[in-house]
Amino acid sequence: MTRQEAEAILQKIFKLTRFYDEQWTTIEKILKGERVLLIEKTGFGKSLCFQFPAVIHNGITVIFSPLIALMRDQVKKLNSLDISAKCVNSEQTQEENTQIITDAKAGKIKILYIAPERQENSEWIEATRYMNLSMVVVDEAHCISVWGHDFRPAFKRIINLVNLLPKGLPVLATTATATKKVEADIAKQMGGNLTVIRGNLMRDNFKLFVIKVSAEDEKMIWLGKNLDKLPGSGVLYTGTRVNTEIYSKWFEQLKIPSVGYNAGLDTESRIAIENGLMNNQWKCVISTNALGMGIDKPDIRFIIHTQIPQSPIHYYQEIGRAGRDGQPSYIILFYNPEDRKLPEAFIEGGRPAITKYEKVINAIKNEMLGERDLMRRTNLKQTQIRVIKADLIEQKIIREVTIGKSRKFEYITHAPQLTTRTFEELRAAKTDDLESMIGYIETTHSRMNYLCNYLGDQVYGSNNNCDNTGLKKIKVIVTPEWTQKLQDFRDEYFPELEVETIGTNLVNGVAASFYGFSNVGAALHRSKYENGGDFPDFLLKLILKAYRNKFGQEKFDLILYVPPTKSGDLVRNFAVKVSQVLKFPISHNLSKHRITSEQKVFENAYLKADNVRDAFIYKIPAEIQGKSILLIDDIFDSSATIKEIGKYLTNLGALKIAPLVIAKTVGGDLA
Amino acid sequence: MNNEAAYWIALAHLPRWGYLKINNLIIKFYHENKLTPEDFFQLSESEWSNQYGLGYKEIEDLKIAKSELANNAFLAESLFNEGYELIPITSPEYSKTLKNNLKTAHTPALLYMKGNKQIMTEKSIAIVGSRSASDLSLGFTDNIAKLASKEYKVVVSGFAKGVDKRALDSAIKYKGQSIIVLPQGIMTFGSGYKTYYKQIVDGDVLVLSVFFPKAPWKAELAMARNPIIYGLASEIYVAESSDKGGTWSGVTDGLRKNRLIYVRNPEPNENNANLLLIQKGAVAVDFNGMPIKELVPDEKQMIISLVQEPEINYEYNIIELLKTGEYGVKDILRKIQMNWTEEQLRDFLRTHKEVKSINKKPLRFTIKNLVSKQKSLFD
Repeated sequence: MTRQEAEAILQKIFKLTRFYDEQWTTIEKILKGERVLLIEKTGFGKSLCFQFPAVIHNGITVIFSPLIALMRDQVKKLNSLDISAKCVNSEQTQEENTQIITDAKAGKIKILYIAPERQENSEWIEATRYMNLSMVVVDEAHCISVWGHDFRPAFKRIINLVNLLPKGLPVLATTATATKKVEADIAKQMGGNLTVIRGNLMRDNFKLFVIKVSAEDEKMIWLGKNLDKLPGSGVLYTGTRVNTEIYSKWFEQLKIPSVGYNAGLDTESRIAIENGLMNNQWKCVISTNALGMGIDKPDIRFIIHTQIPQSPIHYYQEIGRAGRDGQPSYIILFYNPEDRKLPEAFIEGGRPAITKYEKVINAIKNEMLGERDLMRRTNLKQTQIRVIKADLIEQKIIREVTIGKSRKFEYITHAPQLTTRTFEELRAAKTDDLESMIGYIETTHSRMNYLCNYLGDQVYGSNNNCDNTGLKKIKVIVTPEWTQKLQDFRDEYFPELEVETIGTNLVNGVAASFYGFSNVGAALHRSKYENGGDFPDFLLKLILKAYRNKFGQEKFDLILYVPPTKSGDLVRNFAVKVSQVLKFPISHNLSKHRITSEQKVFENAYLKADNVRDAFIYKIPAEIQGKSILLIDDIFDSSATIKEIGKYLTNLGALKIAPLVIAKTVGGDLA
Repeated sequence: MNNEAAYWIALAHLPRWGYLKINNLIIKFYHENKLTPEDFFQLSESEWSNQYGLGYKEIEDLKIAKSELANNAFLAESLFNEGYELIPITSPEYSKTLKNNLKTAHTPALLYMKGNKQIMTEKSIAIVGSRSASDLSLGFTDNIAKLASKEYKVVVSGFAKGVDKRALDSAIKYKGQSIIVLPQGIMTFGSGYKTYYKQIVDGDVLVLSVFFPKAPWKAELAMARNPIIYGLASEIYVAESSDKGGTWSGVTDGLRKNRLIYVRNPEPNENNANLLLIQKGAVAVDFNGMPIKELVPDEKQMIISLVQEPEINYEYNIIELLKTGEYGVKDILRKIQMNWTEEQLRDFLRTHKEVKSINKKPLRFTIKNLVSKQKSLFD
């Protein structure tokens, strides 16, 4: 097919007049059945490079993509052009996915988007036996490489698949962010016969700023004062989930429309937020790095980071979604020298201790185990198990297999010894990356050039689009008025306890503070573990304030408290004081009828839940019938205890159970 | 080989080609023309036809197989991910015992397996017998498995009830090594991998299948798997056989093809066909597997058997031909270039238990019942 012929089809089907040269070069190769790695910036039009050939080919094109939001967007767009495209993903019901897979088998679908994890699904694998496959696309191909910013083990399987595909079947891998090292790694993994096409990654519509501060308060104050002055809508990246919550409450108080977004949200909420962002419902979405890669919004006008990312490549990826329409977009990074501690901790703590690896290996050597069993056998956190699992699979020590419908880990016959060499190499590489990120902050030259250099891009000429090259530097001015506003906010801010579950009458409660905030954690620790006597009165004042903030003048019929495992009468005495002030009757009839261990001993939610299951008993069950209950405890971590008691009291006829605790920990596993 | 898995799956399961035809093709492109399977599938139809003498039907089969390569790639990926290995007949890892015993005509082009494949290179025995064997036979099985394990010989088991299962369990009990030859696809063994997990992890069990990875258990597959069991074993012990069924046809066939087969010498009052097998030339053994002197076939007998070998090949060819339809004696002699007289062939066909005659003029022959038919086990 000549370019002219192709462009005639392009006009007819895609309503576009012409290809860019690099697009056509790619498409020409694909049409010849070749393999291509295409590295082009966001907004270049990478998807046309597979969508066009997909339409020309007879059979189906399968696109492996990790980004559900992006799949949805592209499917919508293709359908509007009358091209039959569908996606299979975890957000759809099983019936929907099954129907789509059936249609794909029957040849009714031209373009099928699918998450790499689907390769583990037997229904899908079974279906692939019957599909007339024309092409395979690996989107976000940097996820293949551990040297990239977003390595995903599921991509390993896609690479294995690509290497098994017959000669002549075209394969296209695309990414917007790959350093030379990542590029070489992808090319190597995909085997020979691969053409790399790399475009320039420069984004000249960006206005790049770094704001150096010396306290968290300065970030909050600057944003409070200026967020509304920025054009359009955008994204604020905060690094941690707790901070997404704090910032969204802060903006709520300032009446700036915003919403918090993190990976812990359910599908429905996530879609609602993504849609809201598309429709400019909010000034900004406040997110951990869970959001953004997949959002196909052309006019994101600003992207702000309150926390430095781990590397320039993370940063380039996260800011990459701004200004796809080519219009000016503000890219702002706050930096407090303290901030490097978070990525440092992440790099240091990125891998569990070697003894934990050994624990896992020994458990799997003895028995074929699923993830849940493995967590129970080893008492390790799910997050740790997942890191260990991925490493052990990578090192060919274990593998994950399907037995019936469940996934199990098995030890590989004659497996090699665990080696830490790659861990050390990776850690060294990550430390270097973080230094390069600090380098971005400290550079006195063009920031865009700095990023492009880092990515291995050819940099042409000078770029005058940052605060080192022509734009005015931003300084934070703290006024007493704003300091007071922030103080007022802090005084009124209490973390929510999300415990509402179907089947119980639990309602969300409130904590007086986060455990690590101010002196609350320390005070609790003194009383609990250093014989410091009863919880101090400032905690009582704080918890009463939290109560009023959350429940106002609401009255409860009864106060109960969580019976202790170790720390004696601390919680009892504290609950008595709360009851005296609020004037709700207190009962001491909730107790444990068997010995449990301290919840903190258990690293994961399964063991925590096992530990307290059916452990509680109420002496006079009739007292509970028809009551609203305020349930007091000192520390809220995994929610397992509260949920267990909530379930028990619901069964006894309680109408409402609301937890009230002194401190909520951060990062409870599976919470 | 790993990257060629899709091609090997395509070749190994060419529909209704049979091992001989597939292997002959492999010999031609791989050994004679030095092509990889990938190269072979890149050839044009005219090259397939001209260089390989393939007919219209075969080329159609190959075209379909080629169009399914991408699908096979998905299958292969999931096989590898689950820890299965694919060993093609051209691989140095392919069991030499199997090739030597089964030859071109009966050796599968591709083995699917999981576990310690080193086991395939060890000396091996198969202990075969009825699904409903007597305690005596099971005791014998246990004892032979024990002795084999002591001598580091691998026990090959078909994973059927009775003798097969006991042979396997005993080998495990005595810390020996075993090969489980599945009567189904390698991916459908599900909970079996859980049951033998420890043995597989420790390298003491190899699970092996020659069928399409997702094929469920079927009687035909169980029959077709028997030759593989015999083929993988350097020695064959029969614990108990009735005068029909899988064990009987397997052993009598083996005897016709001069394999040394040991049969447990039965007690006087036993109701089985062990004695019959011994009379047909199997070696009677005692409880410890030691040959009982007077029943050992003498050397002269062995020599005579060897001389007869060419006829046996004819038998295979004849049976294979009859599977494809009805033929008269003349047709058969023409198609299989053999030096028998028409008379000789007619007698052979009339007395062969797998062949039935059709009263047409001229008299024709075909195969009795394909499903219940035991495949020829030995060359």
